[in-house]
Amino acid sequence: MIDQPLFTSLLLLPFLSAPLIYLLGRLSVRKGQDSGMKAARLLTLAALMAEIVLLVLTVKGAIGGGSVQILVGLEAMRFDGIGLILTGLVLVLGVCVTLFSIPYMNKEKGEEKFYALLMMTIGSIIGLGFSYDLFNLWIWFEAMAISTYFLVAFYNEQSASLEAGIKYLVQSSIGSALVLFGIAAIFATQGTVSLEDIWQYADQLGTLGALGMVLMIVGFGVKAALVPMHTWLPDAHSQAPSGISAMLSGVVIEAGLIAMLRVVSMTGKMNGNWAYILIIFALINILVGNLMALRQTEIKRMLAYSSLAHMGYMLFGFGIGFGFGSGTGAEGGFFHMLTHGLMKGLAFMSVGALLYVLKLVKGDHSSLKLDDLNGASRKYPLIAICLSVAVLALGGLPPFAGFMSKWMILVAGVETKNIWMLVAVGFVGLNSVLSLGYYAPIVNRLFKREQSEVVAAAYTRVSWMMSLPIMVLTLAVILIGVWPLLTDFILYNGQYFLLGYFFN
Amino acid sequence: MNLPIPFIVLLAVLSLAGTGFYCLLFTRNLIKVVVALQLIVKGVVLAFVLAGHLVQNESLAQTMAITVIVADTIVAVIGLALAVQIRLHTGSLDLKALSNLKR
Repeated sequence: MIDQPLFTSLLLLPFLSAPLIYLLGRLSVRKGQDSGMKAARLLTLAALMAEIVLLVLTVKGAIGGGSVQILVGLEAMRFDGIGLILTGLVLVLGVCVTLFSIPYMNKEKGEEKFYALLMMTIGSIIGLGFSYDLFNLWIWFEAMAISTYFLVAFYNEQSASLEAGIKYLVQSSIGSALVLFGIAAIFATQGTVSLEDIWQYADQLGTLGALGMVLMIVGFGVKAALVPMHTWLPDAHSQAPSGISAMLSGVVIEAGLIAMLRVVSMTGKMNGNWAYILIIFALINILVGNLMALRQTEIKRMLAYSSLAHMGYMLFGFGIGFGFGSGTGAEGGFFHMLTHGLMKGLAFMSVGALLYVLKLVKGDHSSLKLDDLNGASRKYPLIAICLSVAVLALGGLPPFAGFMSKWMILVAGVETKNIWMLVAVGFVGLNSVLSLGYYAPIVNRLFKREQSEVVAAAYTRVSWMMSLPIMVLTLAVILIGVWPLLTDFILYNGQYFLLGYFFN
Repeated sequence: MNLPIPFIVLLAVLSLAGTGFYCLLFTRNLIKVVVALQLIVKGVVLAFVLAGHLVQNESLAQTMAITVIVADTIVAVIGLALAVQIRLHTGSLDLKALSNLKR
């Protein structure tokens, strides 16, 4: 059995601590002291640690009980494997990002807001993972979007980040309006928004219901950066503070994908094969993401475009799962979600550490060009090694985590024994090789090239609070790469709940 | 002419959303962009009320509509706040003048 108080506090704690963090920081900033800000940072870390403990306890309670649907107040929330994967990922990355941001955001204007908003983002992603009716899903989704609008436009004196913020806001709110139209259409056919009921009556939804499904897939697709709706992503992810880029690329777009999967998993009894839509989107995403990343000159923009390609790999796995009933496909999708979160978080944080020591320390808010990375390994060997691990893992080289998850998805594709899927697998595999075309030169730049001017002029050391989370994530990427069974337990559960509902 | 009321409401929903999307495509002024977003969401609110009427579940529909209004107001406020910041730092509300990030 699951403990309801534990689960409720898991959901509530971020929203209780966020205003406290803000108040603590704000009071001390107004008085010009630093003590309150220190307390606010500590409180953020402590609250995230407490969340991890709560999550572990809730999982222990849930083992053997399976999924349990509970009501928190009047909202239907359900603890299951899909939410568990998202929550685990967001908490691990959240702790790393908080620790990383302590030196990164130090003395920045509005630092207290940063931690409060980060906490709110994490809280709403946790809620989104566990929500179990359509409208509830939208509320958490919107809460997540609202808290990230602020974070993207955080440097509100830079016109570039304001531009990214307004682009993100406009496109994201069009997406959420489309989701709402979809929910209204579904509601108009059945008079309910509960996923369970809609799943049960899915064969009676008719044209209006199908229209609603399409609207919701497109709407959530804006946040998940499916290709025609992706134009906000490179701007937002490259202009946000680096810790936030790690969160945005590592979990926020994945949260959009999870919301979309919840919607698709209701269509089990509907006519038409929705999985093919996912697979087509996946292939377009992979191709466009890789081609656009190849021609970038700024490293954060390049990483942002490569997120598009990685969303494609995940969608491909889930598409195989839905279309052919392949457990391996869905499990591979979840596995890639997990490893991509760790790898992309690691990549953005290492780049952020370099950006900090090379530019931000001097008050220079311009972006880090690929040329600026040249020869950085002479002065910052540790960060250079970690960044190399991150990009090689993203490119899918064998000893690292990215290889394992891509391999799983491709194996699932081959196992379908469908000629078109084999062609698609070949296409995805070739694209993975193509992606090395922009990942590998980074390693070359870091280790082989002559030092660039910014590197030669740099004198700041990387603080241990920045390098500790980077090293932890590097270890995790290597460990999962050599021992992928480590994550099997939660991946299997996610796959079980996703496909179990779809096919029963 | 005697149109049924749900049909009239449906027309209102479509015209609100249509006007909103049209404005989004053709306006370059930030304030007007925020207004266009608001128009679309007002269409959504009406759509919820209409859907609730069709399936005889008005209470749930109204709860959802009110929640949408609240969330949407927050988005509008953030949009306008960003517009203020942009006006302060670039001296213009034109989206074209703002587009400096390359594709």
